[in-house]
Amino acid sequence: MTTSTNLPGRQQVPNLSEVPGSILGRDSAVTKVLLRRSAAARRARYSTIKIWVGAICAGVVVVPVALAQLLPLPDPIIGQLSESSLPPLSAGHLFGTDPNGRDLLSRVLHGGQTSLVIGVLAIFVSGLVGIVAGAAAGYFGGWVDTIVSRLLEAQMSLPLLLMLLLVVALFGPSIPVITLVIAFAQWPEPARITRALVLVEREKPYVAAARVLGLHRISIITRHLIPNILQQVLVVVLLLLAQAVLLESALSFLGAGVQRPYPTWGGIISDGRELFVTGKWWLVTIPGVVIALLVVGVNLVGDGLRDRVRRAKGEES
Amino acid sequence: MLTYVLKRIGQTVLTAFLATATVFVLLRMAPGDPAANYAPPNPTSEQLAAIREEFGLDQSIPVQFVTFLQHLFQGDVGTSFFFKRPALEVVMERLPYTITLAVAAIVVTAAVAIPLGVWMARRADTAKDLGANIATIAGQSMPDFWIGFVLLILFAVQLGWFEPAGFTSASSIVLPTVTIAILQIALISRLVRREMVVNLASPYLTVARSRGISERALTWRYAFGNSAIPVVTALGTRFAAMLNGVVIVEVVFKWPGVGELVVNALKQRDFPLIQATVLVTVVLALVVQLLVDLLYPLMDPRVRLGEASS
Repeated sequence: MTTSTNLPGRQQVPNLSEVPGSILGRDSAVTKVLLRRSAAARRARYSTIKIWVGAICAGVVVVPVALAQLLPLPDPIIGQLSESSLPPLSAGHLFGTDPNGRDLLSRVLHGGQTSLVIGVLAIFVSGLVGIVAGAAAGYFGGWVDTIVSRLLEAQMSLPLLLMLLLVVALFGPSIPVITLVIAFAQWPEPARITRALVLVEREKPYVAAARVLGLHRISIITRHLIPNILQQVLVVVLLLLAQAVLLESALSFLGAGVQRPYPTWGGIISDGRELFVTGKWWLVTIPGVVIALLVVGVNLVGDGLRDRVRRAKGEES
Repeated sequence: MLTYVLKRIGQTVLTAFLATATVFVLLRMAPGDPAANYAPPNPTSEQLAAIREEFGLDQSIPVQFVTFLQHLFQGDVGTSFFFKRPALEVVMERLPYTITLAVAAIVVTAAVAIPLGVWMARRADTAKDLGANIATIAGQSMPDFWIGFVLLILFAVQLGWFEPAGFTSASSIVLPTVTIAILQIALISRLVRREMVVNLASPYLTVARSRGISERALTWRYAFGNSAIPVVTALGTRFAAMLNGVVIVEVVFKWPGVGELVVNALKQRDFPLIQATVLVTVVLALVVQLLVDLLYPLMDPRVRLGEASS
């Protein structure tokens, strides 16, 4: 009791022995301030900070990109040669213009639509394939598991970027091809985590109960197993969106992206790379900042959510 | 032990074969005629046919594949269309540059990421940890080619400290290394932190601390000693991946390595050169993986090779 009197903020704490219904019968040495400073509370607060900072970063990019058609912007493809190579903050051109007189802000926003559509479609496909393959491998085991695991291993040892470049060269750089190529590169991650989670989950009593009730295996997986692991898997899939945007820009940079004149983020940077030597730094720097802002945002939100989900599931960080 | 190594070598050969075969088939399915790249301007159809015959592309794909395999077993990967020399020779000339870059990048990564990760773990769930956490997330969120360009604009064009491209002097390696290391440091330091947080909170550490062992020994000898396996595995995997995949950084800095070679070979549809590159880099990456796995028993006496490996 003597130790607790020195603690800060003790005055605000109601004496638990006086609280009606208190079973403790003594006041606690744990004050609200101490609780707030505890590691668990700090972790919770930090994950909230990460989610908010991330949401703001991503929102600053996503909202203008989504509204690109509605904003009063110059055409992203047809430029005015009288206004070529203006630096940022010129009149009417916030981000400046390129040597063809095309407004960089407009190109970045319209290009972002292509990049984001490809990214979202790609994680949708890879998430779906990954969850189905991972759940089947984890639940059925046996030869299904062997096939899926071997495929995952085989893909690990292939020079992935080279394969992706090859496939784009083969089928042409259209949006569906690039989307599928990125999805192909990404399906192992959701598959691996789904498989690992299903392996744990299928040993739980409720699965045995469902089996005893005579439910079909497919409906056990889709109605009972997957809802219990979906939260953790979706966080991983969200983090893949960040990877997809980076991969798409890398492919565009290597010339295997959506073709000119339609802008994409990687393509804009790639076009600007011969020009920064002549002092036109903004053509490379600004699109990169926009990509980084979006990817940082998505990564922060995903990371914060992952901390939360882990805590809710009572795992160690 | 010996059976384990033999089994792994067998797997390596199989994987390398599958990768090369996949690339072989994909290349032949791709539209566009390689012969057109090597013919004089406005070629006649006879000239094109002659080039196709010279390259052996006039045969059906299965026949080409069998011929390719026959030559492969004699240690011949084919002659580069573009260089008119054995493709393996061309790749081997470029390989030292890629290996140098990968070694430099992995050394810098380990030297920075491990202390950084330990530092974050020792301050887990404090404001400093949050700051470092956000910084590492930012580090892994930037496109690598863009980091390369920004470094080039700053240090080569504006400040003139380094040569902007190619391999001209020993200092040319600095910017490409930093470009690769930024992403890798972000990834590895987060892994180090995660492993160390678990180990720093383990009961064995409390017992050791109660016996009066210094915090420094607790951190490095006890906790880090037990975190070493996943960290070394990750470093090995990253190193192996770099041997395949520093393509983008090599293109940005015009570094005369394998990555730059293969991108040009793809443009010129130089089939034998692409196949040779894939074969060499895949084998190299798998050998690195094997060596890392052989290190495990040295790092942790509880590991017995061959028993745990499925």
